[in-house]
Amino acid sequence: MRKLLMLIAGLAALIAFFLSLPTPPANGAATATSPESAIVIRNVRLFDGVAVHDAMTVVVEGGTIAAIGPAPSDGSGGATRERVVIPDGAEIIDGAGKTLMPGLIDAHTHTWGDALERALLFGVTTEIDMFTDQASAASMRSEQAEGSVHDRADLVSAGTLVTAAGGHGTEYGITIPTLDGPEQAQAFVDARLAEGSDFIKIVYDDAGGHWPTLDTATLRAAIEAAHARNVLAVVHVSTHEAARTAIEHGADGLVHVWSDELGADGLFAMAAEKGVFVIPTLSVTATMAGTPNVTHLDQDPAIAPYLTPAETGALSRVIEGLPVREDRLAIASKATHELATSGVVILAGTDAPNPGTVHGASMHGELSLLVEAGLSPIAALAAATAEPARAFGLDDRGLVAPGLRADLLLVDGDPTRDITRTRHIVGIWKAGRRVERSQGDTALEGRVKAPDTEAFAQFDQDILDAAFGFGWQPTTDERMGGTSTTSLTLVSPGSRDTAGALLVKGAIGPGFPFPWAGAMVFPGEQPMEMVDFSAKREVVFQARGDGGRYRLMLFAESIGQIPASTFFVASETWQEHRINLRELTQDLRGVWGLAFVAGPAQGDYAFEIDGVSIR
Amino acid sequence: MNALSTTRTPAATLDHLNGLPPTTPGDQARSPSGRQNHFRIFVLETRAELMKLLRMPGFTLPAFAFPLMFYGLFGITFGRSQQIGPLTMAGYLLATYGAFGVIGANIFSFGVGIATERGQGWMLLKRAMPLPPVIHFLARMVVGMAFSLVILIGLFALGGFAGGIALPLATWVKLATWLTLGGLPFAAFGLALGYLCGPNAAPAVINLIYLPMAFVSGLWLPYEVLPGLFKTLAPWLPAFHLAQPALGILGADTHAPVARSVAYLLAFTAISMVVGIAAYRRDHKTWG
Repeated sequence: MRKLLMLIAGLAALIAFFLSLPTPPANGAATATSPESAIVIRNVRLFDGVAVHDAMTVVVEGGTIAAIGPAPSDGSGGATRERVVIPDGAEIIDGAGKTLMPGLIDAHTHTWGDALERALLFGVTTEIDMFTDQASAASMRSEQAEGSVHDRADLVSAGTLVTAAGGHGTEYGITIPTLDGPEQAQAFVDARLAEGSDFIKIVYDDAGGHWPTLDTATLRAAIEAAHARNVLAVVHVSTHEAARTAIEHGADGLVHVWSDELGADGLFAMAAEKGVFVIPTLSVTATMAGTPNVTHLDQDPAIAPYLTPAETGALSRVIEGLPVREDRLAIASKATHELATSGVVILAGTDAPNPGTVHGASMHGELSLLVEAGLSPIAALAAATAEPARAFGLDDRGLVAPGLRADLLLVDGDPTRDITRTRHIVGIWKAGRRVERSQGDTALEGRVKAPDTEAFAQFDQDILDAAFGFGWQPTTDERMGGTSTTSLTLVSPGSRDTAGALLVKGAIGPGFPFPWAGAMVFPGEQPMEMVDFSAKREVVFQARGDGGRYRLMLFAESIGQIPASTFFVASETWQEHRINLRELTQDLRGVWGLAFVAGPAQGDYAFEIDGVSIR
Repeated sequence: MNALSTTRTPAATLDHLNGLPPTTPGDQARSPSGRQNHFRIFVLETRAELMKLLRMPGFTLPAFAFPLMFYGLFGITFGRSQQIGPLTMAGYLLATYGAFGVIGANIFSFGVGIATERGQGWMLLKRAMPLPPVIHFLARMVVGMAFSLVILIGLFALGGFAGGIALPLATWVKLATWLTLGGLPFAAFGLALGYLCGPNAAPAVINLIYLPMAFVSGLWLPYEVLPGLFKTLAPWLPAFHLAQPALGILGADTHAPVARSVAYLLAFTAISMVVGIAAYRRDHKTWG
């Protein structure tokens, strides 16, 4: 008996060991031991980062580009011998009618969340980041150094930017160190480099007196401090004057083109003479000009299916509270054209994920905007491949050349003539490994659908709950700096002789420009968990109160952080209200919250709600 | 445990120490057939061989430690970023050091083990026991397989948890199964060597065959980086044909079809068995 038990225990341990061995991720990514077999792309139009070559054969082996040569004249290898060696067992891809180019490099991004994964799905294999969380950048760098990153774009990052106390970069709710004067510049820059920054980004922009910025002496000291350590110093500017000052003081590059006025007096010639590069970021400039979706990426059948609902929403979003100046895009485009014709190196960058831009897809919009500004399609493609690699010293990528990383993008058609062909992606390879593209709505797989039950909240029991989801919570503008208050109380009787109702009571105070306070309910099991409301049409509820105007707010993936809302009046007697959800957003697949709130009018408020149903 | 702790007469206990089935009339009456007795002998003999393995760390430890140490050095330390065809170096060497470990476990257990025990007169004593020789060799085989599995578990743990290797469960199991079973031809080869070599010469002779064969077959360094002469020689060696299908299981491009490797190993087993049995008979004539 004991022997048998020992035998069973031994077998169980053996099985447990094998079960505990690492297995590849279930999403179909290749396993760690068999990542990339040889790939041959035959008879393809090649844009190698600099120039176009017709009818080429490119061989990829072990994650790098092994050989490039002219394809045989008949295109199939039958009549004449291939001039490159085709490895045994290689995957052969027919490149006829297609264009192979280096993976795109977005030269201006901010990488949070799944940014790098999303970027890769649109052919962006490297993102140059202009400000992100230094710790997450450091962990990504170490994973990249191990060579284990195949499901997201590579990151090159400035880490924490250099700005003045209270300056641009400090407004995002993340506490960052700031630079007070020129004498601290070297220590400050050294601290960033010690944290891992790949280059130094400096903010030199007071937004017309909106916030403080570095003085010119400190700007110069910061640039020189970076140069003393042999790293690039790039500068954020928004006006032609700031651009001139930054270039005069030795900036290696400008991470935006100015859009206040064109500027003259030899500014373009000086930029060319000093050898700076400029990342125009026309995508985000379009947003500032009030036309965030100017390239209509969400209408393009080559792009739209791959966008998530959140991205589709983000492409049309404007910057809240920023006054629109419609001529900004025209000025920025003109300045970009002048710079390019003066011989200044232009790099394509989106400034994603600012409103109106998304990681990955917006890069294709940026290319279109550069061409519209006057660059040739080839110059625009170089600005997204070879030029950024050269400018930032990334000498293992940016070109299709033997020995370099096989970061490749294969598109249908000829983007060297029609830049929008970059959107027609046939294949993406990162370090020789094919990237599986998923359609944007796969994010919806596994998403919970809202239950069929119509009755959502009756308030007739002793506890405050709902038919499904996480339940009710007070919500106020306090976390945005507001002073509004709220309290939720179950009261009786309710409407139509039911046992109870919910009393929402409090005061709207100053502090936040768009104050609110009231009751919020989460339909997901966890707060902010998305629930698919596609099958739902309207919210019906009873309300009464002090006769004031209140709002029903809808929080959904397709709307973004700022909820859609509609007003209702809480009259003194119970009254039924019906609110058509589709008037708030067409896309109800990712609803994560509903709120009954007071505001923005200041003062005391009180209203009751009851019999909430979602039909 | 059971067999040793049952209360018996002193005479019966002695029998047990010799690894024999109980011979009291009562026991025999309860054994319906000789086949069941043979199974019992086999179990006891396997246990005894296992105990021997555990109690002689002089053989066990090096045979376990060498593949692990080399794999740790070449596979893990240098192997995570290097590529050999479609495999990482860590993945490639997992298969080849697996083969190296398994061959070692079998070839030493049979070759050096038998030669040494012959020298000590232990094999002669065995012949005096009512123990069919086949059962003794079967027991050795099972223990060799168990030991192979232990080495593989060590290598897999190293590769999986430190070498960045992730494989579907079925692939892990397939690799372990192929290598464990694929060690048996080398058990047969060891048997032949064990009866051909003198007890003092055996360790030297076997090392002289084992280590160069492993190197030329691409078990230490990938076949792909070996000099041309070795590449020509390798396909004639059995170790090469154990390693190539293992690499194939991991998704590498192999340099021999699986069927050819299997045929080679079967032929190699048959020849080793013929030579081994002849040597065994000669040995018995000499001593008998």
